[in-house]
Amino acid sequence: MKTHFKALARFRKALLPVFGLSLLLIGASAVVRLDLMDLVRGLPRGLALLRHMVPPEWSAMPRMVGPAIETVQIAFVGTGFGIVLAFVFSLLAASNVNANRALRELARGIMSAERALPDLIVILLFVAIVGLGPFPAVMALSVSAIGMLGKLFADAFEEVDPRSLEALAAVGASKMQVIQYALIPQVMPSLIANSLFRFEVNIRLSIFLGVVGAGGIGSELIMATRLLNYRTALSAIIVILVLVMVCERISDALKKAVIGHEVLQ
Amino acid sequence: MLSVQNVAKRLPDGRPLLKDISFEAKKGEFIGILGESGVGKTVLLRCINGLTAPDSGDVVINGGDTVVKVNGKRGQELRVIQQRIGMIFQGSMLVKRLSVLENVLTGRLGRISTIRSLLYGFTEDEMTVALEQLERVGIKNLAHRRAETLSGGEMQRVAIARALFQEPYLLLADEPVANLDPKNTEIVLDYLKPLAKEVAIVGVFHAPELVSKYCTRAIGIRDGVVCYDGSPFISPSKLEDIYGTERAVCTTSVA
Amino acid sequence: MKRRSLFNTGLGVVLFVAFVWSLVDLGISPRLFWRGLPHFFRLVSEMFPPSWEVLTEPDILWSVVETLSMAFLGTFFGAAAAFVLALWAASNLTPSRLVRETVKALMAAERSMPTLVVVLVLIVVIGLGPFTGMVTVAIGSIGMLGRLFAEAMENVDPRPLDSLKSTGASKLQIIRYAVLPQVVPSLIANTLYRFDINLRTVLFLGVVGGGGIGFHLHLAMSLFRYADALAITAVILSVIWMAEQLSNHLRSVVIGRETLR
Repeated sequence: MKTHFKALARFRKALLPVFGLSLLLIGASAVVRLDLMDLVRGLPRGLALLRHMVPPEWSAMPRMVGPAIETVQIAFVGTGFGIVLAFVFSLLAASNVNANRALRELARGIMSAERALPDLIVILLFVAIVGLGPFPAVMALSVSAIGMLGKLFADAFEEVDPRSLEALAAVGASKMQVIQYALIPQVMPSLIANSLFRFEVNIRLSIFLGVVGAGGIGSELIMATRLLNYRTALSAIIVILVLVMVCERISDALKKAVIGHEVLQ
Repeated sequence: MLSVQNVAKRLPDGRPLLKDISFEAKKGEFIGILGESGVGKTVLLRCINGLTAPDSGDVVINGGDTVVKVNGKRGQELRVIQQRIGMIFQGSMLVKRLSVLENVLTGRLGRISTIRSLLYGFTEDEMTVALEQLERVGIKNLAHRRAETLSGGEMQRVAIARALFQEPYLLLADEPVANLDPKNTEIVLDYLKPLAKEVAIVGVFHAPELVSKYCTRAIGIRDGVVCYDGSPFISPSKLEDIYGTERAVCTTSVA
Repeated sequence: MKRRSLFNTGLGVVLFVAFVWSLVDLGISPRLFWRGLPHFFRLVSEMFPPSWEVLTEPDILWSVVETLSMAFLGTFFGAAAAFVLALWAASNLTPSRLVRETVKALMAAERSMPTLVVVLVLIVVIGLGPFTGMVTVAIGSIGMLGRLFAEAMENVDPRPLDSLKSTGASKLQIIRYAVLPQVVPSLIANTLYRFDINLRTVLFLGVVGGGGIGFHLHLAMSLFRYADALAITAVILSVIWMAEQLSNHLRSVVIGRETLR
């Protein structure tokens, strides 16, 4: 009997977290109306969907090429502007570049505020301002980069050995020259790697943005599913998967090609 | 009681490491195995425990009422045997993020059902016994500390306590004092030595001085065979047989 | 030396040309920006004052609870599945190369799978609703968490595993007593990080019909009810902020306590 009590006492420490977690799980399951039968019932529907999807509508493929390219373009341009914006903000936020503390704090504050801001809010704002189409998508992707890329860039800048910067300043180089000749070369690999990573994130976002009217392959997919054109939808899915994988491969190859050199240098 | 009969083991690349090793160990014996590094001392211990399967030869353990062959066993059958073979590893092999007591308790994992160990853990009785073992190596006061906060010597004492907690028929020690300073080496071996009265101990050592000071018998291995088996006080010429000329000269001059 | 700088310059030129071509092809020009400016001012003026009264609507409040539940359950089930898969993907726990490579390939395929594709398929299979959103988030978490968990497991100190094995412990016991204690901090940190990502994903899912507060924001913006939208945005931001504080707190409690003990 006594040992049983002791055993219970041992559990008491774990009791509260386990109880709390179970309660949360049960509550949340009720909220989302978690029902495993939904999955079971969905099984035949999934099989039926598969039957309606296969074979993909190959004749729709040529129509998909244009939107697919548009998706890549949106991601690419968005990444390009994003890098520029993030670069400016990160220079302002890096303590070894910008000596003005107030300005630094301001830049850091803007970046972390942007990071907290969900991409959905950003894109909906831009859609409201400039209307549908690729333009709001590009702007949303650019602005979204400020928070994430800006922080990564600024961290990379601050990791640079300050003596190497001082050495250049000591020979009378201007601020811009120090940045160009001492700072950038040292952080280049990290800038490139992070920018390529952002490009991969942007490809996915750019696909999703089709839902809110940005066009591109995402729009094609959602249109096809809304019209119950499942074979066309499968074509779009295939194009999307190929797109994502090709972009990942290119990004990996570029990373290796450019950074590989840098490391060997 | 342990009997090792004609054990041989090849390296993964096919070169023979152990060619023909035979010896017996009885209760009351503390055997020190010596040999150059890379001669296969650790592999031999792993063969005895069953962590590594020998290519040929037998390892037989006689626990009084039970006589079992270690080699040729796998899975559950092997685990049953391993439960009663205590092993102390070179350096610390403790789970650093568990407490000292929990580390000792893991010694009996093999004996309790997997379901119990996942859902419940250990019983009060098991904890009491584990604490007794910690007391035997003089670190009961550290029972609730995290293993990573311990010194190297303390960690090895925890390892001894865990091996004792297994109620072993046989204790194996793979360079138990390899990374310890002289003072801790002495403390750990002083705790280990008297245990030979209850259970045969087979240890691997890098220093002949330690063997002559603590062991009851020495075994030398060279080129995959036993080249010396006898008194722990090894003459310089015999040391030369074990280590080759240079090392023997060096160690005897130090001793 | 020469070849490398030639390569980099060439690459730079190609990227720049592609950039300009994309700009032109997408029809993006500063003109669009100036044209949008008046809209911006109108938007701002219509947003203020935010109509806080929408927050008293039970629908909106419920959707906040729904959003949090979807993200929480999705993260929980995703992490649980990722943990099991990681056991099969870690080289020190699964000897079979075939099993390992298969699981790793599955997880990599999941990582390349855009959320939009997953959610659209699930909407057809399960139907609209928060459950679909939860499953989408759970599936989306498996690839990333699975890889991170497997890496954490592969990086554990291998010696305790060996020593437990020498005492005759079973595979599951070794995982519970030697692997788990070593990887718990990393599991918790990564899962909490994924929760933050999932919360944002759930917002997006509202747009395609996954429910939650994202749906209401999208609705308000589409109906030009900007004052409502601002109030909803404020709610979203405070929920995200609170979730982040909670997650930071949990991290420091669980991991901090572990280290201090």
